[in-house]
Amino acid sequence: MTSVPPPFDPELAAALELIKDMIQPGMAMEDIEAIRQGPALALLSQLDLTAGGAFEVEDRTVPGPEGAPEISLLICRPAAPAPDRPRPVVYHVHGGGMVLGNNRAGVDVALDWARALDLVVVSVEYRLAPEHPHPAPVEDVYAGLLWTAEHAKELGGDPDRIVIAGTSAGGGLTAALALLLRDRGGPRPIGQLLMCPMLDDRNDTVSSHQMAGLGVWDRTANDTGWTALLGAARGGPDVSPYAAPARAEDLSGLPPAFLDVGSAETFRDEVVAYASRIWQAGGIAELHVWPGGFHGFDGFAPQATLSKSARAAHLDWLRRLLAE
Amino acid sequence: MKELAGRLTALDPDAGAAVRVIAYFDRLTEGRAGVEALVRGAAVLAGVPALLVDAERRVRIRVEPDGVRRDRGLPPDPAWPSAALTPDGAPALWLERADATPSVVDAVILERAAGAARLVLDRTRGRAPLDDPALVETLLDATAAEPARLHAARRLGLDLLAPARALATPAGRPGVVPAPAAPVAAEPPAVRTGIGPAVPVLELPGSWDAARTALRFTAEGGALDPGPRVVSAEDLGGIALLAELIAPGADPPPDVRALDTAAADAPWLLTTLYAVTATASLRAAAAEVNVHHSTLQDRLAHAEHLLGWPVRTPQGRLRLHLALTMRRLARP
Repeated sequence: MTSVPPPFDPELAAALELIKDMIQPGMAMEDIEAIRQGPALALLSQLDLTAGGAFEVEDRTVPGPEGAPEISLLICRPAAPAPDRPRPVVYHVHGGGMVLGNNRAGVDVALDWARALDLVVVSVEYRLAPEHPHPAPVEDVYAGLLWTAEHAKELGGDPDRIVIAGTSAGGGLTAALALLLRDRGGPRPIGQLLMCPMLDDRNDTVSSHQMAGLGVWDRTANDTGWTALLGAARGGPDVSPYAAPARAEDLSGLPPAFLDVGSAETFRDEVVAYASRIWQAGGIAELHVWPGGFHGFDGFAPQATLSKSARAAHLDWLRRLLAE
Repeated sequence: MKELAGRLTALDPDAGAAVRVIAYFDRLTEGRAGVEALVRGAAVLAGVPALLVDAERRVRIRVEPDGVRRDRGLPPDPAWPSAALTPDGAPALWLERADATPSVVDAVILERAAGAARLVLDRTRGRAPLDDPALVETLLDATAAEPARLHAARRLGLDLLAPARALATPAGRPGVVPAPAAPVAAEPPAVRTGIGPAVPVLELPGSWDAARTALRFTAEGGALDPGPRVVSAEDLGGIALLAELIAPGADPPPDVRALDTAAADAPWLLTTLYAVTATASLRAAAAEVNVHHSTLQDRLAHAEHLLGWPVRTPQGRLRLHLALTMRRLARP
């Protein structure tokens, strides 16, 4: 199936010109190691996580899933004196196609929210595929959330006001975390923020075909990421919803969701479908489809007008969610 | 995946940067990005605020390197690197970088952003020639469907939300100009021009009718046809009603015939009488036709004798004014 893809927003198309040497849409399995060693991830380590002293930053090693190694949590707490009551907590899950990244990646976005809304940020580091296939990543994410809920008070956080949030693969893992927490009767987050989430291993929507070879994450890269996570089971009949939330048959009883996605990206149709199915199950969801947005555009081109709208929408949703 | 290049928001000042700048603005142009996106691109790539000022078109856009637009009224510093929108024109785009000599990359950013901005401004703010006859015709045709007229307006580069005017000339094609633009250049136009009122683009057929009416009130100038070469429908007021009474080429009314007969007798007559109607005083009229005040008085006495009515009383002056105006309206 081929069809004419929606055009990129002009500013975003120009931004793609700037990054095309560093990021190509189609990532193959053999490219993973080179990208992990590449310059883009090195830039992340230069981030000033204290944001000029606004946050106290701590790396905490906490127990992982049973029988698995410990995991590392990046904890950022506002340096300002604690308010009368504990702060809400954002539990952040990084992106990277299930195969890249660490708990620094994308956390600056969560820190922006934390600065605006006085939040504690906890960012989890999970084991990456293909070395650690499903369920290692999602179980690490789950274990980190359990620890966060149990120890929220010692961080000045409110265990009853945890928002889970993630981008791309992190968005998929966040959606899976919400399903796991529901099904295992774990702590109840008050909301799930799913930014261009990676939800469906089948990789067979119209948008996944339409955007082949375009943007920063096309169907080839998507195949690579899911195959790294699921091996030969990818796209087959026996994929767990905790790996690919689009596979879940029941989307009822989940915390209120915010979902967004670009109209010009591989994930468009699966994200729209997921939001629709939450509504069909009687749930609460807010969906934004950004016209001409490529995958993760607001991270790649934060200055663009569309990126500013997307970021404002994230913050606005959080503000409404946290208002009492 | 999205964080991989998330920090790549500014360019390294290396050799490859200039190439990227060019590709960046080329893509913006290709995508028909707006002026603000171009100024934003300049600010983001340069890492300093960028300011675009086009006084003529009342455009002022200032964007900071984080992409946020923050306009300020302050004048640009002459020390900032700048570029003009047109070759040899005045500076119009600045990078607010006073502390260092501009780099090669700065120069490329300025050159590319200014060039792209000029194209957009021409397209969206009405310097583009509005001269596709078929499109203008559609736009001015009251019987054409609204979508067709809107389409034509867009193709002509008109801002659909801004008013525009129709222009009529004796033989030339109809014209349309955005209303804020001065409809007529400082120097008098080469041909008689009627200017329609400023209206929303969908009402341009009405402006066109009014422009053609205004055209009938214009004159070539000179001894045989003195009068204004440019007439704006908005300035006519009730005088426009005369146009309905006098059909072009019809038998002229008696006062007009009297004028023609008198003019055949005295070549100076029409210009002199027009000066009387077009100036505030007889002294000014004398200066206008370049004669001494007493000479003017002699001429007017002679004219009154030829015409058969006074031209120096308020009532007579009005009658004269109407006669001269009807004379233009009766032109075939």
